[in-house]
Amino acid sequence: MTLQECYAILGGDYAEVSARLPSEKFIQKFVLKFLEDKTYGLLTESWEGGNDEEAFRAAHTIKGMCQNLAFNTLLASSSALTEALRGGRSPEAPALYEKVLADYETTAGAIAAYKEQL
Amino acid sequence: MEGPKRRQKILIVDDSEMNRSILVDMLGGEYDTIEVEDGLKAVGVLQRQGAEISLVMLDIVMPEMDGFGVLEVMNQRRWIESIPVIMISAETASDRIDQALELGVTDFISRPFDARVVRRRVVNTLLSSAKQQELEALVAEQIIEKEQNSLLMIDILSHIVEFRNGESGQHVIHVRRLTEVLLRALMKKTDRYGLTQERVALISEASALHDIGKIAIDDKILNKPGRLTSEEFAVMKTHSLAGANMLDGLSVHQDEPLVKVAYEICRWHHERWDGRGYPDGLKGEDIPISAQTVAMADVYDALTSQRIYKPAFSHEEAVRMITNNECGTFNPLLLECLLEEADTLQEELNGGQAHVRESQKHVLDNMADKFSQHAELSASNRTLQLLEHERMKYSFFAAMSKEIQFEYTISPSMVSFNTWGAKALGVDEIVMDPFNDPRGRKYLDGGLGEKLSDAIDTTTPDDPIVTLETKMSFDGTMRWFRFVMQALWSDDEPAQLRGVIGKAIDIHSSRSYLENLERRASLDGLTGLLNLTSAQKQVEARLKESPEGKYALAFFDCDFFKMANNTYGHLFGNELLVHIAGKLHQTIRSGDIVARVGGDEYIIFFAYHQELEPIIRRMHSALNGEDFRGFTISISMGVATTEQLGPNFKALMGAADKALYAVKQAGRGQYLFYTGNETSLKETEEVSVYANQSEIIEFGSGEED
Repeated sequence: MTLQECYAILGGDYAEVSARLPSEKFIQKFVLKFLEDKTYGLLTESWEGGNDEEAFRAAHTIKGMCQNLAFNTLLASSSALTEALRGGRSPEAPALYEKVLADYETTAGAIAAYKEQL
Repeated sequence: MEGPKRRQKILIVDDSEMNRSILVDMLGGEYDTIEVEDGLKAVGVLQRQGAEISLVMLDIVMPEMDGFGVLEVMNQRRWIESIPVIMISAETASDRIDQALELGVTDFISRPFDARVVRRRVVNTLLSSAKQQELEALVAEQIIEKEQNSLLMIDILSHIVEFRNGESGQHVIHVRRLTEVLLRALMKKTDRYGLTQERVALISEASALHDIGKIAIDDKILNKPGRLTSEEFAVMKTHSLAGANMLDGLSVHQDEPLVKVAYEICRWHHERWDGRGYPDGLKGEDIPISAQTVAMADVYDALTSQRIYKPAFSHEEAVRMITNNECGTFNPLLLECLLEEADTLQEELNGGQAHVRESQKHVLDNMADKFSQHAELSASNRTLQLLEHERMKYSFFAAMSKEIQFEYTISPSMVSFNTWGAKALGVDEIVMDPFNDPRGRKYLDGGLGEKLSDAIDTTTPDDPIVTLETKMSFDGTMRWFRFVMQALWSDDEPAQLRGVIGKAIDIHSSRSYLENLERRASLDGLTGLLNLTSAQKQVEARLKESPEGKYALAFFDCDFFKMANNTYGHLFGNELLVHIAGKLHQTIRSGDIVARVGGDEYIIFFAYHQELEPIIRRMHSALNGEDFRGFTISISMGVATTEQLGPNFKALMGAADKALYAVKQAGRGQYLFYTGNETSLKETEEVSVYANQSEIIEFGSGEED
C-alpha cells in the first residue's frame, strides 16, 4: 500500500497535503505519528467522564491535526463535534461523537495497515 | 558562548503535540524552537527568557490559559511591543480574529499549515521586529546602569552625615562626581588600570565613603574654626586609617567589591605620588588608582569650596595650585586629565542641576552614537547576542543583588517572580490569584498584604513609585525588607490601576550594618563611653519619658590633666582618660547614662529616689584620690538636678558646669551642688560648657589638608 492509497482509504486528500508539506517523507512521518497521538484517548475519556470543556478542546485539537494532514472525513466529523461542544454539550453532540469514533477507527485502521506493510 | 551562527528562538505554544512537531519540522532547520503546551507555561517562558524570544507562534484553544489570556498578559507587560506573535489557530470566526488583532497579533497562519507560507510569514515577521528589538536593548542597557547605584551606599552616607554637620553633604556629592569625570578621562587615555564602565561606577560610588573615618575625630578638632595645631592635625590624620578600620571591622558585606574599593579609598586617599602622604607613605602606583583619583577630587573640591578657614578658590586657581604641587604631588596622568576636563569640572562647580543635565546628555549622545553604528543592522546575530547579553546581565545583577523582583497584574490576578526570588520564597515563578492561593497567602496574610495594598493606594499616575520598609516572614524568621514598587496605571481617563511591578530587598543585614555604624558614631572612640551628642539624645529621651522624675547630672573633670599631659606625655594622658572611664563603669548603676563630653570632661546622669548627697559622695570618692602611676587623680565635680531646673538637658549642663567652676575656684578635688549663687561666668565661657576652655588639651599647630 502506498501513502496515496492509504489516504484514499481514510478519506483524505493526498494531492492537497503534498502541495503544502515539503516531502512525502515529511507527510509519512506525521501520518504515522497520528497513531501515537493521545488526543483521541483524551476525547473519549473526557466525554465519558462528562468533562465537556476538555472534550471540546480534544475535538478541537483533532480537528486541527486533520486539517494539517488533510484527513478530510475525520476533519468533517471532528469539526462538527467541536461546534456541538462549544459552550457545552448540545443535543446533537452524542450522534456527532459516535460519528467521530467511527471515522477515527477507519482512519487509524488505514494508517495501521499502511504501517504494517512498510 | 555560542559561535556567530547564533539562531533566533521561536516559542511555539500549542496543546497539540503533533501540530507543534509539524511547525518545528518546518522551521527547525533555521531556527531554535521552544515548545510548550499551554498558555501559562508560555507566560513562564516569556517571563524568564523574553529577551531571547524572537517570535511567538500561538494557538488559541488551550488548557490552563488560552491564547487570548497569553495576549492579555503580553499586553499588560508590554511584551507585545517587542515580541511579535503569529496566531496559528484553527479558529476562523471573524470576531475572534478581530479580537486577536486588537490584542496586537502581527499575523495569522491558518490551518492547514503550508510549509512555504509558514516560513515566509516567520521570516517577514522577524525582519520587521529586529530593529525595534535592537533599540530596546540599547535603552535597557541605560536603565540597568542606572539601576546599579547602590541604595545601601546612599543610606550609609545620609546616616553618617546626620552625625556630622556642615560641608560634608555637598562635598561627598562633588567628590563622587569629580572622581567619575577624572576616571572617565583616564579610561580614554590608558588601559593600564583596567578601568571599565562598571569599575568607574564602582569607584565613584565608593568615593562617597572616603571620609567616614572622620566620625571618629573629636568634634572640636573637626569643626574648629581656624588652623589646626600640629597635634590636632595629627589627630585629624588618623581619620584615614580609622575609616579603613571601620570597613575592615564589618562582619557583613566584607566581600562586596564596593566595600573593598571603599577600603582602599578610605585608607589611602591622603597618600601622595612622591610618598609623602599618610598613613602608609605609599609611593606612585603602589597607591591604588581608586585612592589616587579620589585624592585629587578631594583636594580639588576642598580648594574650590568655601571652608571655615578659607574662601573658595576659582577653578583656575585650584588647578594652578594642584599642578604646582602645593597640595602634594599627583600622578602626572591624572594631572593631564584634570587639565583636559577643565570645562566639565567648571560646569560641575556651577552647581547642582548642571551635572544631571550633563549625564542625561551623555546618555543621549551615547545612544545616538550606538545607533549610528548599528543603523545597518538587520536581523543579525549581533542583535541576538546583544539581547542575550542584556538578559544575562540583568539576571546576573538580579541574582547578585538578591532581590525578589515581582510583577503583579490585577486581571488576571497573577504574580510572577524572577528566578532568584521564586527560589528564595519557595514558590513557582508564576502564581495565579496570589491573594487566595495558599503559597501567596503564606506571605501576604498577617498584615503584609494590606500594607502593600495600602502603599499602592497612595500612588497616583503622576507619582506611581512607593517605598515601604516592613518585616516579612522569610526562611522561617521575620526579616526586614524594603519594597520599592511602581504602580502601573493605564492611559485611560480616569486612569485605572492595572498592576504593580516592584522588588523586595532584604535589608536585614544592611540595617544591622547601619546600626553598627550608628553605634560606632555614637561612642567616644577612646573610652567607649557615649559622646556628647548621643548622651544628649538619650538624656532627653529619658526626660521626655518621665518629666516628673528626680534626676541629677554630675559634670566632672580631672584636675591638673593638662599638667599630667605635659609631664608624662599624651599617651599617658589617654591612658588616664581610659582608666577614669573604667572606674566610672564600676561606679554607676546599669540605668545611668555616662559620657565623655570633651577632653577630660565626663557626665553622669541618673535617677535618684533617696537623699542625693550620699550618692554623689560615693561616686566622687570612688574616682577621687586614687594614685595612677604616680599621678594622684583629683576630681572636681559639679551637680545639678531636675528638681532645681526642670527636665532640660542644656539647663542641667549649664548649671552643673557653673557648680564645677565654683569647685575650681574653691580649690578643686571636691564636689558642689548648683545653688544659683555661683560667680557669674564670662559670656564666652558660658557658651563653651561643652568644652571647658581652661582645661582643654593643648595640641601644637598645623593645618588640615
